[in-house]
Amino acid sequence: MNAFKKKWQQDEGSIDLIQLFAGLLIISIAAVGTFQALFYGYEQMDYQMRYRKAISVARSYAEYWQGRIHTDFDTANRRMMVGNLGDPEVHLLDERDPSTDLDDVICEVAYSQIVPHSYEALDAGGGDEGISEYYLFEVFVSWYEPNDLTRAVPHLITFQAAMVQSAM
Amino acid sequence: MRGKKLKIGNDKGWTLVEAILSIVIMSIMVLGLTVVLMAFREQLDRSWSIRVMDQYGNDVVERLTHELRNAVDVNVRNGIGNTHKIDITYLDPYRHDVKFTNSWRADVRSAKVTINNDPIDRTFPPTSPGRGEYFEIGQFTLTPYGKLTPNNREHQDSFQRNEKFMAATWDIRFQLIYTRNAVNPGERKWSYVKEYYNRVYMRNMNLAVSEGITD
Repeated sequence: MNAFKKKWQQDEGSIDLIQLFAGLLIISIAAVGTFQALFYGYEQMDYQMRYRKAISVARSYAEYWQGRIHTDFDTANRRMMVGNLGDPEVHLLDERDPSTDLDDVICEVAYSQIVPHSYEALDAGGGDEGISEYYLFEVFVSWYEPNDLTRAVPHLITFQAAMVQSAM
Repeated sequence: MRGKKLKIGNDKGWTLVEAILSIVIMSIMVLGLTVVLMAFREQLDRSWSIRVMDQYGNDVVERLTHELRNAVDVNVRNGIGNTHKIDITYLDPYRHDVKFTNSWRADVRSAKVTINNDPIDRTFPPTSPGRGEYFEIGQFTLTPYGKLTPNNREHQDSFQRNEKFMAATWDIRFQLIYTRNAVNPGERKWSYVKEYYNRVYMRNMNLAVSEGITD
């Protein structure tokens, strides 16, 4: 029995318990690092997906206002001309899995003041086909990433767009 | 020779208990690694397929947006499933008194979108998909602004817009579904649905150019 015990405790030509633990610790650290990297990569892909969707939302909103300026526009409507930066619209940016308790990601969409510009300022010739003015505005889409707990600075996309009023 | 013999024959190695313990630990590690690698491979396969799907979805929406921006007229009819048949009319870039039409269709069976029966991208869906995986078209629609939207404000706003605006402002919705069927025992069917969306205002529809006036 003593001989067996002695053999069990000997340290010759084998790994001891501390070495085994050290090995496991190193492997565990490596595994945690790998999983963290995978998780980070997954989050980045998720972020890229939302970023792309936010661009789509911004462009669609800019397209809407270009259409409005072109065909359905009343410069006397002051409320429309000043933009809605103080009262942005809320759109759904990313619908999360309903089977989880993750909150959906929403974004705020707003447009700046619609500013008339004159072609004369650009071209002494004075415009094209009776159109003397074009309108400039900006569209802003902002949102917070789900893992951003501080919510200090939102992610922001800015689009600048211009449009003329239809001569028809 | 004597020394060598002694080295081979000595007892300075692993004991049976140590050897068994090592085998058990290594087996657990190899098993764990195999499980992780298989899960990683599965994730890579899914991720790649979703990337392919993304590329196609964005291509289709971008190209349709571009065509509608340059078009002077559009005609939308119901197609198979939740799809529309879209006929887009353009002015000939060289002779503005000549118009031509592109017909967009979504073939739900082959998951292809075609223009005049010509697939937009011949490489989608992939010709050699993995076992049990396939793509479907869930939706391909072109609807007037505010008519098919989850946004209530847009829906209400659409009633206040004039006819010209409503005739020229369209929402494109293209939905693709990627499915991986359960092939091996213990696996579960996995599906991923993604919608690609864009709004487009058809500028040329409300320009003098739409009437063929070029000079």
